[in-house]
Amino acid sequence: MKKIINSSVDFVDEMLDGLCSAHPEYYAQPERRVLVRSVPARDGKVGIVTGGGSGHLPIFAGYVGPGLLDGAAIGDVFASPSSDQIRKAIKHAERGAGVLCLYGNYGGDVMNFDMACEMLELEGLRTETVLVADDVASAPLAEAAKRRGVAGMVYAFKIAGAAADAGGDLTAVTAAARKAAESCRSIGVALSPCIVPQAGKPSFTLGEDEIEMGMGIHGERGIWRNRLRSADEIVDEMVARLREDMPLASGQRVSVLVNSLGATPPEELYVAFRRVRQILEADGIRIVMPLVGRYATSMEMAGMSLTVMALDDELETWLKAPAACAFWQVAGDRA
Amino acid sequence: MIASSFTVDELIRAVDRLAAAAQTFAAELNEADGRLGDGDLGITLSNGWRTATQKLAGARPADIAGVFLTCAVAFQESSASSFGTLTATGLMAAAKASSGRTEMKPAEISGLLRAAMDAMARRGKAEPGDKTVLDSLAAMAAATASDGTADDLRKVCVRAASEAAELFRSKANRIGRARMFGEDSIGIVDPGMLAALRMAESV
Repeated sequence: MKKIINSSVDFVDEMLDGLCSAHPEYYAQPERRVLVRSVPARDGKVGIVTGGGSGHLPIFAGYVGPGLLDGAAIGDVFASPSSDQIRKAIKHAERGAGVLCLYGNYGGDVMNFDMACEMLELEGLRTETVLVADDVASAPLAEAAKRRGVAGMVYAFKIAGAAADAGGDLTAVTAAARKAAESCRSIGVALSPCIVPQAGKPSFTLGEDEIEMGMGIHGERGIWRNRLRSADEIVDEMVARLREDMPLASGQRVSVLVNSLGATPPEELYVAFRRVRQILEADGIRIVMPLVGRYATSMEMAGMSLTVMALDDELETWLKAPAACAFWQVAGDRA
Repeated sequence: MIASSFTVDELIRAVDRLAAAAQTFAAELNEADGRLGDGDLGITLSNGWRTATQKLAGARPADIAGVFLTCAVAFQESSASSFGTLTATGLMAAAKASSGRTEMKPAEISGLLRAAMDAMARRGKAEPGDKTVLDSLAAMAAATASDGTADDLRKVCVRAASEAAELFRSKANRIGRARMFGEDSIGIVDPGMLAALRMAESV
Protein backbone atom coordinates (compact mmCIF):
# COMPACT_ATOMS: atom_id res chain seq x y z
CA MET A 1 0.00 0.00 0.00
CA LYS A 2 1.41 3.35 -1.07
CA LYS A 3 -0.61 6.25 0.31
CA ILE A 4 0.06 9.71 1.71
CA ILE A 5 -1.35 9.03 5.16
CA ASN A 6 -0.11 9.07 8.74
CA SER A 7 -2.04 6.07 9.99
CA SER A 8 -5.02 4.15 8.72
CA VAL A 9 -6.79 4.74 12.04
CA ASP A 10 -6.51 8.55 11.80
CA PHE A 11 -7.10 8.74 8.05
CA VAL A 12 -10.76 9.79 8.11
CA ASP A 13 -10.50 12.28 10.97
CA GLU A 14 -7.38 13.93 9.54
CA MET A 15 -9.04 14.12 6.12
CA LEU A 16 -12.11 15.87 7.59
CA ASP A 17 -9.92 18.19 9.64
CA GLY A 18 -8.06 19.18 6.48
CA LEU A 19 -11.25 19.57 4.47
CA CYS A 20 -12.78 21.95 7.03
CA SER A 21 -9.62 23.99 7.55
CA ALA A 22 -9.02 24.33 3.80
CA HIS A 23 -12.59 25.49 3.13
CA PRO A 24 -13.91 27.18 6.28
CA GLU A 25 -16.25 29.24 4.09
CA TYR A 26 -18.23 26.05 3.42
CA TYR A 27 -17.60 23.42 6.08
CA ALA A 28 -17.66 23.07 9.84
CA GLN A 29 -17.43 19.96 12.00
CA PRO A 30 -19.35 20.69 15.22
CA GLU A 31 -19.05 17.08 16.35
CA ARG A 32 -16.75 14.28 15.31
CA ARG A 33 -17.56 13.12 11.77
CA VAL A 34 -20.61 15.36 11.50
CA LEU A 35 -20.11 17.93 8.76
CA VAL A 36 -22.41 20.93 8.40
CA ARG A 37 -22.47 24.26 6.60
CA SER A 38 -20.21 26.81 8.33
CA VAL A 39 -22.93 29.38 7.59
CA PRO A 40 -26.22 27.65 8.43
CA ALA A 41 -29.22 27.97 6.13
CA ARG A 42 -32.02 30.39 6.97
CA ASP A 43 -34.71 29.37 9.44
CA GLY A 44 -37.67 27.70 7.80
CA LYS A 45 -35.66 25.98 5.06
CA VAL A 46 -36.04 22.21 4.81
CA GLY A 47 -32.79 20.60 5.91
CA ILE A 48 -31.08 18.03 3.68
CA VAL A 49 -28.74 15.50 5.19
CA THR A 50 -26.71 12.77 3.57
CA GLY A 51 -24.22 10.26 4.88
CA GLY A 52 -22.13 7.27 4.06
CA GLY A 53 -18.64 5.92 4.11
CA SER A 54 -15.47 7.91 3.52
CA GLY A 55 -13.39 7.40 0.42
CA HIS A 56 -15.77 8.90 -2.13
CA LEU A 57 -15.01 12.63 -2.10
CA PRO A 58 -16.61 14.90 -3.13
CA ILE A 59 -19.42 12.48 -2.07
CA PHE A 60 -20.65 12.85 0.72
CA ALA A 61 -19.27 15.68 2.85
CA GLY A 62 -18.08 17.69 -0.14
CA TYR A 63 -21.61 18.53 -1.27
CA VAL A 64 -22.48 20.40 1.90
CA GLY A 65 -23.01 24.00 0.88
CA PRO A 66 -25.55 26.62 -0.22
CA GLY A 67 -27.95 25.28 -2.82
CA LEU A 68 -26.91 21.75 -1.92
CA LEU A 69 -26.80 19.89 1.42
CA ASP A 70 -26.99 21.08 5.02
CA GLY A 71 -25.16 18.23 6.69
CA ALA A 72 -23.42 14.90 6.27
CA ALA A 73 -22.58 12.05 8.64
CA ILE A 74 -19.28 10.44 7.73
CA GLY A 75 -18.28 6.84 8.39
CA ASP A 76 -14.99 5.02 8.12
CA VAL A 77 -13.75 4.24 4.62
CA PHE A 78 -16.56 2.41 2.79
CA ALA A 79 -18.48 1.96 6.08
CA SER A 80 -21.71 3.49 7.27
CA PRO A 81 -21.68 6.29 9.82
CA SER A 82 -23.29 5.33 13.13
CA SER A 83 -26.94 6.13 13.77
CA ASP A 84 -25.71 8.41 16.54
CA GLN A 85 -23.68 10.53 14.09
CA ILE A 86 -26.60 10.61 11.67
CA ARG A 87 -28.94 11.73 14.44
CA LYS A 88 -26.56 14.58 15.29
CA ALA A 89 -26.22 15.64 11.65
CA ILE A 90 -30.01 15.75 11.29
CA LYS A 91 -30.41 17.82 14.45
CA HIS A 92 -27.85 20.33 13.20
CA ALA A 93 -29.64 20.58 9.85
CA GLU A 94 -33.07 21.13 11.38
CA ARG A 95 -34.31 24.69 10.76
CA GLY A 96 -37.90 24.21 11.81
CA ALA A 97 -39.19 22.71 8.57
CA GLY A 98 -38.10 19.08 8.91
CA VAL A 99 -35.20 17.25 7.34
CA LEU A 100 -34.86 15.14 4.21
CA CYS A 101 -32.41 12.24 4.44
CA LEU A 102 -30.99 11.72 0.96
CA TYR A 103 -28.36 9.06 0.44
CA GLY A 104 -27.31 5.98 -1.49
CA ASN A 105 -29.06 2.65 -1.15
CA TYR A 106 -26.66 0.56 0.98
CA GLY A 107 -27.91 -1.80 3.69
CA GLY A 108 -25.82 -0.42 6.53
CA ASP A 109 -26.59 3.21 5.73
CA VAL A 110 -30.32 2.50 5.42
CA MET A 111 -30.42 0.77 8.81
CA ASN A 112 -28.49 3.50 10.56
CA PHE A 113 -30.51 6.32 8.99
CA ASP A 114 -33.78 4.52 9.84
CA MET A 115 -32.60 4.01 13.42
CA ALA A 116 -31.63 7.69 13.72
CA CYS A 117 -34.98 8.82 12.32
CA GLU A 118 -36.83 6.53 14.75
CA MET A 119 -34.97 8.09 17.68
CA LEU A 120 -35.67 11.62 16.41
CA GLU A 121 -39.33 10.83 15.90
CA LEU A 122 -39.52 10.28 19.67
CA GLU A 123 -38.26 13.87 20.01
CA GLY A 124 -40.89 15.14 17.57
CA LEU A 125 -38.56 15.90 14.68
CA ARG A 126 -39.98 15.31 11.19
CA THR A 127 -37.87 13.46 8.67
CA GLU A 128 -38.39 12.00 5.22
CA THR A 129 -36.12 9.65 3.30
CA VAL A 130 -35.23 9.31 -0.36
CA LEU A 131 -32.79 6.62 -1.43
CA VAL A 132 -30.72 7.01 -4.56
CA ALA A 133 -30.50 3.71 -6.43
CA ASP A 134 -29.14 4.60 -9.87
CA ASP A 135 -26.60 1.83 -10.60
CA VAL A 136 -28.23 -0.23 -13.36
CA ALA A 137 -25.55 -2.93 -13.09
CA SER A 138 -26.35 -3.73 -9.46
CA ALA A 139 -29.80 -5.29 -10.02
CA PRO A 140 -32.22 -5.77 -12.94
CA LEU A 141 -34.93 -3.20 -13.65
CA ALA A 142 -37.56 -5.49 -12.10
CA GLU A 143 -35.68 -5.19 -8.80
CA ALA A 144 -34.74 -1.53 -9.18
CA ALA A 145 -35.30 -0.86 -5.47
CA LYS A 146 -32.34 -3.14 -4.70
CA ARG A 147 -29.93 -1.11 -6.80
CA ARG A 148 -27.03 0.71 -5.21
CA GLY A 149 -26.64 4.45 -5.26
CA VAL A 150 -23.63 5.89 -7.11
CA ALA A 151 -22.90 9.15 -8.95
CA GLY A 152 -26.62 9.89 -9.48
CA MET A 153 -26.50 11.16 -5.91
CA VAL A 154 -24.78 14.29 -7.20
CA TYR A 155 -27.84 15.19 -9.28
CA ALA A 156 -30.21 14.28 -6.45
CA PHE A 157 -28.31 16.55 -4.03
CA LYS A 158 -28.39 19.40 -6.55
CA ILE A 159 -32.09 19.10 -7.33
CA ALA A 160 -33.19 18.68 -3.70
CA GLY A 161 -30.96 21.57 -2.63
CA ALA A 162 -32.49 23.86 -5.26
CA ALA A 163 -36.04 22.81 -4.35
CA ALA A 164 -35.35 23.54 -0.67
CA ASP A 165 -33.79 26.92 -1.54
CA ALA A 166 -36.86 27.76 -3.61
CA GLY A 167 -38.91 27.50 -0.43
CA GLY A 168 -40.50 24.10 -0.89
CA ASP A 169 -41.81 22.36 2.23
CA LEU A 170 -40.65 18.91 3.32
CA THR A 171 -43.20 17.19 1.09
CA ALA A 172 -42.20 19.23 -1.95
CA VAL A 173 -38.46 18.81 -1.39
CA THR A 174 -38.94 15.07 -0.89
CA ALA A 175 -40.91 14.86 -4.14
CA ALA A 176 -38.19 16.79 -6.00
CA ALA A 177 -35.46 14.51 -4.66
CA ARG A 178 -37.46 11.43 -5.57
CA LYS A 179 -38.07 12.71 -9.08
CA ALA A 180 -34.36 13.42 -9.51
CA ALA A 181 -33.39 10.00 -8.17
CA GLU A 182 -35.87 8.27 -10.47
CA SER A 183 -34.63 10.23 -13.48
CA CYS A 184 -31.01 9.10 -13.09
CA ARG A 185 -29.29 5.98 -14.37
CA SER A 186 -25.62 5.18 -13.93
CA ILE A 187 -23.11 2.50 -14.83
CA GLY A 188 -19.43 2.20 -14.02
CA VAL A 189 -16.39 0.51 -15.46
CA ALA A 190 -13.35 -0.30 -13.34
CA LEU A 191 -9.76 -0.50 -14.62
CA SER A 192 -7.87 -0.99 -11.37
CA PRO A 193 -8.79 -1.37 -7.68
CA CYS A 194 -8.37 0.87 -4.69
CA ILE A 195 -7.05 0.01 -1.25
CA VAL A 196 -9.00 0.60 1.95
CA PRO A 197 -6.30 1.91 4.33
CA GLN A 198 -7.35 -0.31 7.22
CA ALA A 199 -7.35 -3.38 4.95
CA GLY A 200 -3.96 -2.55 3.46
CA LYS A 201 -4.51 -4.56 0.29
CA PRO A 202 -6.81 -4.26 -2.76
CA SER A 203 -10.34 -5.59 -2.25
CA PHE A 204 -10.22 -7.15 -5.73
CA THR A 205 -7.69 -7.64 -8.49
CA LEU A 206 -7.93 -7.00 -12.21
CA GLY A 207 -5.41 -8.26 -14.74
CA GLU A 208 -3.07 -5.73 -16.39
CA ASP A 209 -5.20 -5.67 -19.57
CA GLU A 210 -8.59 -6.34 -17.93
CA ILE A 211 -11.58 -4.13 -17.18
CA GLU A 212 -14.81 -4.92 -15.36
CA MET A 213 -18.05 -3.50 -16.71
CA GLY A 214 -20.65 -2.64 -14.10
CA MET A 215 -18.39 -3.00 -11.09
CA GLY A 216 -19.63 -1.23 -7.96
CA ILE A 217 -17.76 1.58 -6.27
CA HIS A 218 -16.63 -0.69 -3.45
CA GLY A 219 -15.56 -3.44 -5.85
CA GLU A 220 -18.93 -5.18 -5.94
CA ARG A 221 -19.15 -7.74 -8.72
CA GLY A 222 -20.06 -6.31 -12.15
CA ILE A 223 -21.56 -7.63 -15.37
CA TRP A 224 -18.49 -8.91 -17.19
CA ARG A 225 -14.73 -8.88 -16.96
CA ASN A 226 -12.68 -8.93 -20.14
CA ARG A 227 -9.86 -7.40 -22.16
CA LEU A 228 -9.57 -3.63 -22.23
CA ARG A 229 -11.17 -2.13 -25.32
CA SER A 230 -11.32 1.33 -26.93
CA ALA A 231 -12.95 4.33 -25.26
CA ASP A 232 -15.65 4.44 -27.93
CA GLU A 233 -16.50 0.76 -27.49
CA ILE A 234 -16.68 1.14 -23.71
CA VAL A 235 -18.87 4.24 -23.96
CA ASP A 236 -21.12 2.68 -26.59
CA GLU A 237 -21.88 -0.23 -24.30
CA MET A 238 -22.42 1.99 -21.25
CA VAL A 239 -24.80 4.32 -23.09
CA ALA A 240 -26.67 1.36 -24.58
CA ARG A 241 -27.14 -0.22 -21.16
CA LEU A 242 -28.44 3.04 -19.68
CA ARG A 243 -30.84 3.62 -22.56
CA GLU A 244 -32.10 0.08 -22.39
CA ASP A 245 -33.05 0.78 -18.80
CA MET A 246 -34.41 4.29 -19.41
CA PRO A 247 -35.47 4.83 -23.04
CA LEU A 248 -34.75 8.35 -24.32
CA ALA A 249 -36.85 9.71 -27.17
CA SER A 250 -35.56 12.12 -29.79
CA GLY A 251 -35.93 15.65 -28.45
CA GLN A 252 -35.37 14.54 -24.85
CA ARG A 253 -33.11 16.84 -22.84
CA VAL A 254 -30.62 15.17 -20.49
CA SER A 255 -27.68 16.06 -18.33
CA VAL A 256 -24.75 13.65 -18.35
CA LEU A 257 -22.04 13.14 -15.77
CA VAL A 258 -18.82 11.53 -16.94
CA ASN A 259 -17.18 10.80 -13.62
CA SER A 260 -13.73 9.62 -12.67
CA LEU A 261 -13.63 6.91 -10.02
CA GLY A 262 -10.48 8.59 -8.74
CA ALA A 263 -7.36 7.80 -10.72
CA THR A 264 -8.68 8.24 -14.25
CA PRO A 265 -7.58 11.67 -15.50
CA PRO A 266 -9.84 14.33 -17.02
CA GLU A 267 -8.23 13.80 -20.43
CA GLU A 268 -9.70 10.29 -20.65
CA LEU A 269 -13.05 11.54 -19.37
CA TYR A 270 -13.20 14.10 -22.19
CA VAL A 271 -12.39 11.39 -24.74
CA ALA A 272 -15.36 9.48 -23.31
CA PHE A 273 -17.64 12.53 -23.17
CA ARG A 274 -16.95 13.25 -26.84
CA ARG A 275 -18.38 9.84 -27.71
CA VAL A 276 -21.36 10.17 -25.36
CA ARG A 277 -22.30 13.43 -27.06
CA GLN A 278 -21.85 11.96 -30.56
CA ILE A 279 -24.17 9.04 -30.03
CA LEU A 280 -26.83 10.90 -28.03
CA GLU A 281 -26.98 13.86 -30.41
CA ALA A 282 -27.13 11.51 -33.39
CA ASP A 283 -30.44 10.36 -31.92
CA GLY A 284 -31.69 13.88 -31.30
CA ILE A 285 -31.04 13.84 -27.55
CA ARG A 286 -29.88 17.23 -26.28
CA ILE A 287 -27.23 17.42 -23.53
CA VAL A 288 -27.70 20.21 -20.98
CA MET A 289 -25.03 21.27 -18.49
CA PRO A 290 -22.72 18.25 -18.79
CA LEU A 291 -20.46 17.44 -15.86
CA VAL A 292 -17.04 15.96 -16.51
CA GLY A 293 -14.62 15.33 -13.68
CA ARG A 294 -14.28 13.82 -10.21
CA TYR A 295 -17.73 13.97 -8.64
CA ALA A 296 -18.04 10.56 -6.93
CA THR A 297 -14.89 8.53 -6.43
CA SER A 298 -13.44 5.43 -4.81
CA MET A 299 -10.10 6.89 -3.77
CA GLU A 300 -7.43 5.74 -6.24
CA MET A 301 -9.63 3.35 -8.21
CA ALA A 302 -9.15 3.78 -11.96
CA GLY A 303 -12.23 3.80 -14.12
CA MET A 304 -15.24 5.95 -14.77
CA SER A 305 -18.95 6.05 -14.39
CA LEU A 306 -21.55 7.52 -16.69
CA THR A 307 -24.77 8.99 -15.36
CA VAL A 308 -27.67 10.23 -17.45
CA MET A 309 -30.44 12.29 -15.92
CA ALA A 310 -33.54 12.77 -18.04
CA LEU A 311 -34.75 16.35 -17.62
CA ASP A 312 -38.08 18.11 -17.71
CA ASP A 313 -38.51 21.88 -17.29
CA GLU A 314 -38.69 21.64 -13.52
CA LEU A 315 -35.57 19.49 -13.13
CA GLU A 316 -33.68 21.66 -15.60
CA THR A 317 -34.52 24.82 -13.65
CA TRP A 318 -33.35 23.26 -10.40
CA LEU A 319 -30.22 21.85 -12.02
CA LYS A 320 -29.22 25.35 -13.18
CA ALA A 321 -30.06 27.10 -9.91
CA PRO A 322 -27.10 28.60 -8.04
CA ALA A 323 -25.13 26.33 -5.72
CA ALA A 324 -21.67 26.20 -4.27
CA CYS A 325 -19.34 23.89 -2.40
CA ALA A 326 -15.59 23.46 -2.49
CA PHE A 327 -15.82 20.98 -5.37
CA TRP A 328 -18.55 22.39 -7.59
CA GLN A 329 -20.10 25.78 -8.21
CA VAL A 330 -23.10 26.62 -10.33
CA ALA A 331 -23.31 30.33 -11.02
CA GLY A 332 -26.98 30.21 -11.77
CA ASP A 333 -26.91 31.85 -15.19
CA ARG A 334 -25.51 28.98 -17.22
CA ALA A 335 -27.43 28.07 -20.36
CA MET B 1 -28.96 -18.14 40.48
CA ILE B 2 -32.53 -17.10 40.01
CA ALA B 3 -35.51 -19.26 40.69
CA SER B 4 -38.65 -17.47 39.63
CA SER B 5 -37.90 -14.00 38.31
CA PHE B 6 -35.09 -11.70 37.23
CA THR B 7 -34.57 -8.14 38.41
CA VAL B 8 -32.85 -4.96 37.22
CA ASP B 9 -29.69 -5.85 39.13
CA GLU B 10 -29.60 -9.37 37.75
CA LEU B 11 -30.02 -8.05 34.25
CA ILE B 12 -27.16 -5.61 34.81
CA ARG B 13 -24.97 -8.48 36.02
CA ALA B 14 -25.88 -10.41 32.87
CA VAL B 15 -24.71 -7.44 30.76
CA ASP B 16 -21.45 -7.39 32.75
CA ARG B 17 -20.95 -11.10 32.03
CA LEU B 18 -21.63 -10.50 28.33
CA ALA B 19 -19.18 -7.61 28.23
CA ALA B 20 -16.45 -9.70 29.85
CA ALA B 21 -17.06 -12.71 27.61
CA ALA B 22 -17.26 -10.59 24.47
CA GLN B 23 -13.65 -9.47 24.92
CA THR B 24 -12.74 -13.15 24.63
CA PHE B 25 -15.01 -14.34 21.83
CA ALA B 26 -14.42 -11.19 19.73
CA ALA B 27 -11.44 -12.63 17.87
CA GLU B 28 -13.34 -15.77 16.87
CA LEU B 29 -16.26 -13.69 15.55
CA ASN B 30 -13.97 -11.29 13.68
CA GLU B 31 -12.42 -14.23 11.92
CA ALA B 32 -15.75 -15.88 11.10
CA ASP B 33 -17.10 -12.58 9.78
CA GLY B 34 -13.94 -11.91 7.77
CA ARG B 35 -14.71 -14.93 5.58
CA LEU B 36 -18.02 -13.45 4.37
CA GLY B 37 -17.99 -9.82 5.43
CA ASP B 38 -15.71 -7.10 6.67
CA GLY B 39 -14.52 -8.89 9.78
CA ASP B 40 -15.68 -6.42 12.40
CA LEU B 41 -18.41 -8.46 14.08
CA GLY B 42 -16.38 -9.25 17.20
CA ILE B 43 -15.27 -5.63 17.56
CA THR B 44 -18.87 -4.48 17.19
CA LEU B 45 -20.05 -6.72 20.02
CA SER B 46 -17.11 -6.21 22.37
CA ASN B 47 -17.30 -2.41 21.98
CA GLY B 48 -21.08 -2.40 22.32
CA TRP B 49 -21.28 -4.50 25.46
CA ARG B 50 -18.31 -2.74 27.04
CA THR B 51 -19.95 0.66 26.46
CA ALA B 52 -23.21 -0.73 27.87
CA THR B 53 -21.61 -2.01 31.03
CA GLN B 54 -19.82 1.32 31.54
CA LYS B 55 -23.04 3.26 31.10
CA LEU B 56 -24.89 0.97 33.50
CA ALA B 57 -22.14 1.36 36.10
CA GLY B 58 -22.51 5.12 35.78
CA ALA B 59 -26.28 5.30 36.16
CA ARG B 60 -28.43 2.39 37.35
CA PRO B 61 -31.76 2.40 35.50
CA ALA B 62 -34.93 2.15 37.59
CA ASP B 63 -36.56 -0.57 35.53
CA ILE B 64 -35.78 -3.39 33.15
CA ALA B 65 -36.73 -1.30 30.13
CA GLY B 66 -34.11 1.23 31.22
CA VAL B 67 -31.39 -1.43 31.13
CA PHE B 68 -32.36 -2.49 27.61
CA LEU B 69 -32.57 1.13 26.46
CA THR B 70 -29.13 1.91 27.92
CA CYS B 71 -27.71 -1.07 26.03
CA ALA B 72 -29.46 0.05 22.83
CA VAL B 73 -27.96 3.54 23.08
CA ALA B 74 -24.53 2.00 23.84
CA PHE B 75 -24.66 0.00 20.60
CA GLN B 76 -25.86 3.01 18.66
CA GLU B 77 -23.03 5.18 19.91
CA SER B 78 -20.24 2.64 19.70
CA SER B 79 -20.93 1.00 16.38
CA ALA B 80 -21.86 1.85 12.83
CA SER B 81 -21.96 -1.71 11.56
CA SER B 82 -25.23 -3.29 10.49
CA PHE B 83 -25.02 -5.90 13.22
CA GLY B 84 -24.53 -3.18 15.84
CA THR B 85 -27.54 -1.25 14.60
CA LEU B 86 -29.62 -4.43 14.47
CA THR B 87 -28.59 -5.27 18.02
CA ALA B 88 -29.59 -1.75 19.09
CA THR B 89 -32.90 -2.22 17.28
CA GLY B 90 -33.57 -5.51 19.09
CA LEU B 91 -32.65 -4.02 22.46
CA MET B 92 -34.94 -1.06 21.81
CA ALA B 93 -37.81 -3.42 21.04
CA ALA B 94 -37.08 -5.33 24.25
CA ALA B 95 -37.16 -2.01 26.13
CA LYS B 96 -40.55 -1.15 24.67
CA ALA B 97 -41.85 -4.62 25.59
CA SER B 98 -40.66 -4.35 29.21
CA SER B 99 -41.70 -0.79 29.91
CA GLY B 100 -42.20 -0.05 33.62
CA ARG B 101 -41.27 -3.55 34.79
CA THR B 102 -38.84 -4.03 37.67
CA GLU B 103 -38.88 -7.81 37.52
CA MET B 104 -39.90 -10.37 34.94
CA LYS B 105 -40.46 -14.10 34.90
CA PRO B 106 -37.88 -16.11 32.95
CA ALA B 107 -40.57 -17.39 30.60
CA GLU B 108 -41.28 -13.80 29.58
CA ILE B 109 -37.87 -13.78 27.89
CA SER B 110 -39.53 -15.58 25.01
CA GLY B 111 -41.73 -12.55 24.34
CA LEU B 112 -38.76 -10.19 24.53
CA LEU B 113 -36.79 -12.33 22.08
CA ARG B 114 -39.75 -12.35 19.71
CA ALA B 115 -40.22 -8.57 19.97
CA ALA B 116 -36.52 -8.08 19.25
CA MET B 117 -36.66 -10.50 16.35
CA ASP B 118 -39.68 -8.80 14.75
CA ALA B 119 -38.13 -5.33 15.01
CA MET B 120 -34.80 -6.55 13.64
CA ALA B 121 -36.54 -8.30 10.75
CA ARG B 122 -38.29 -5.06 9.82
CA ARG B 123 -35.14 -2.95 10.06
CA GLY B 124 -32.89 -5.45 8.32
CA LYS B 125 -35.57 -6.38 5.72
CA ALA B 126 -34.83 -10.03 6.38
CA GLU B 127 -37.02 -12.97 7.31
CA PRO B 128 -36.52 -16.11 9.36
CA GLY B 129 -35.02 -18.66 6.99
CA ASP B 130 -32.52 -16.26 5.41
CA LYS B 131 -29.70 -17.71 7.56
CA THR B 132 -29.21 -14.77 9.87
CA VAL B 133 -29.28 -14.05 13.60
CA LEU B 134 -33.08 -13.95 13.22
CA ASP B 135 -33.07 -17.72 12.91
CA SER B 136 -31.19 -18.00 16.20
CA LEU B 137 -33.64 -15.63 17.89
CA ALA B 138 -36.61 -17.54 16.49
CA ALA B 139 -35.18 -20.82 17.81
CA MET B 140 -34.49 -19.33 21.24
CA ALA B 141 -37.90 -17.64 21.44
CA ALA B 142 -39.61 -20.94 20.65
CA ALA B 143 -37.47 -22.89 23.12
CA THR B 144 -38.03 -20.48 26.03
CA ALA B 145 -41.80 -20.26 25.72
CA SER B 146 -42.35 -22.82 28.49
CA ASP B 147 -41.77 -22.08 32.16
CA GLY B 148 -38.51 -22.81 33.89
CA THR B 149 -35.81 -21.30 36.06
CA ALA B 150 -33.38 -18.82 34.61
CA ASP B 151 -30.64 -21.46 34.63
CA ASP B 152 -32.82 -23.91 32.73
CA LEU B 153 -33.65 -21.22 30.22
CA ARG B 154 -30.00 -20.36 29.70
CA LYS B 155 -29.29 -24.00 28.86
CA VAL B 156 -32.34 -24.13 26.61
CA CYS B 157 -31.18 -20.97 24.80
CA VAL B 158 -27.68 -22.31 24.25
CA ARG B 159 -29.06 -25.58 22.89
CA ALA B 160 -31.52 -23.77 20.60
CA ALA B 161 -28.88 -21.35 19.29
CA SER B 162 -26.43 -24.19 18.75
CA GLU B 163 -28.96 -26.36 16.91
CA ALA B 164 -30.07 -23.44 14.74
CA ALA B 165 -26.48 -22.62 13.78
CA GLU B 166 -25.86 -26.23 12.74
CA LEU B 167 -29.21 -26.56 10.97
CA PHE B 168 -28.43 -23.57 8.75
CA ARG B 169 -24.77 -24.45 8.18
CA SER B 170 -25.66 -26.39 5.03
CA LYS B 171 -27.82 -23.59 3.60
CA ALA B 172 -26.79 -20.50 1.62
CA ASN B 173 -27.07 -16.98 3.03
CA ARG B 174 -29.98 -15.20 1.40
CA ILE B 175 -29.39 -11.62 2.54
CA GLY B 176 -26.72 -9.13 3.50
CA ARG B 177 -23.13 -9.03 2.45
CA ALA B 178 -22.80 -12.80 2.86
CA ARG B 179 -25.44 -13.17 0.11
CA MET B 180 -22.82 -12.06 -2.43
CA PHE B 181 -20.95 -15.26 -1.63
CA GLY B 182 -24.08 -17.30 -2.42
CA GLU B 183 -23.15 -20.97 -2.67
CA ASP B 184 -19.78 -20.27 -1.07
CA SER B 185 -21.58 -19.61 2.21
CA ILE B 186 -22.83 -23.21 2.28
CA GLY B 187 -21.01 -25.21 4.94
CA ILE B 188 -20.13 -22.13 6.96
CA VAL B 189 -21.94 -21.22 10.18
CA ASP B 190 -23.41 -17.74 9.75
CA PRO B 191 -21.28 -15.32 11.80
CA GLY B 192 -24.37 -13.63 13.25
CA MET B 193 -25.77 -16.98 14.36
CA LEU B 194 -22.41 -17.84 15.91
CA ALA B 195 -22.54 -14.50 17.76
CA ALA B 196 -26.00 -15.37 19.11
CA LEU B 197 -24.66 -18.69 20.38
CA ARG B 198 -21.63 -17.13 22.07
CA MET B 199 -23.84 -14.53 23.73
CA ALA B 200 -26.33 -17.14 24.94
CA GLU B 201 -23.42 -19.10 26.44
CA SER B 202 -22.08 -16.15 28.36
CA VAL B 203 -25.21 -14.31 29.50
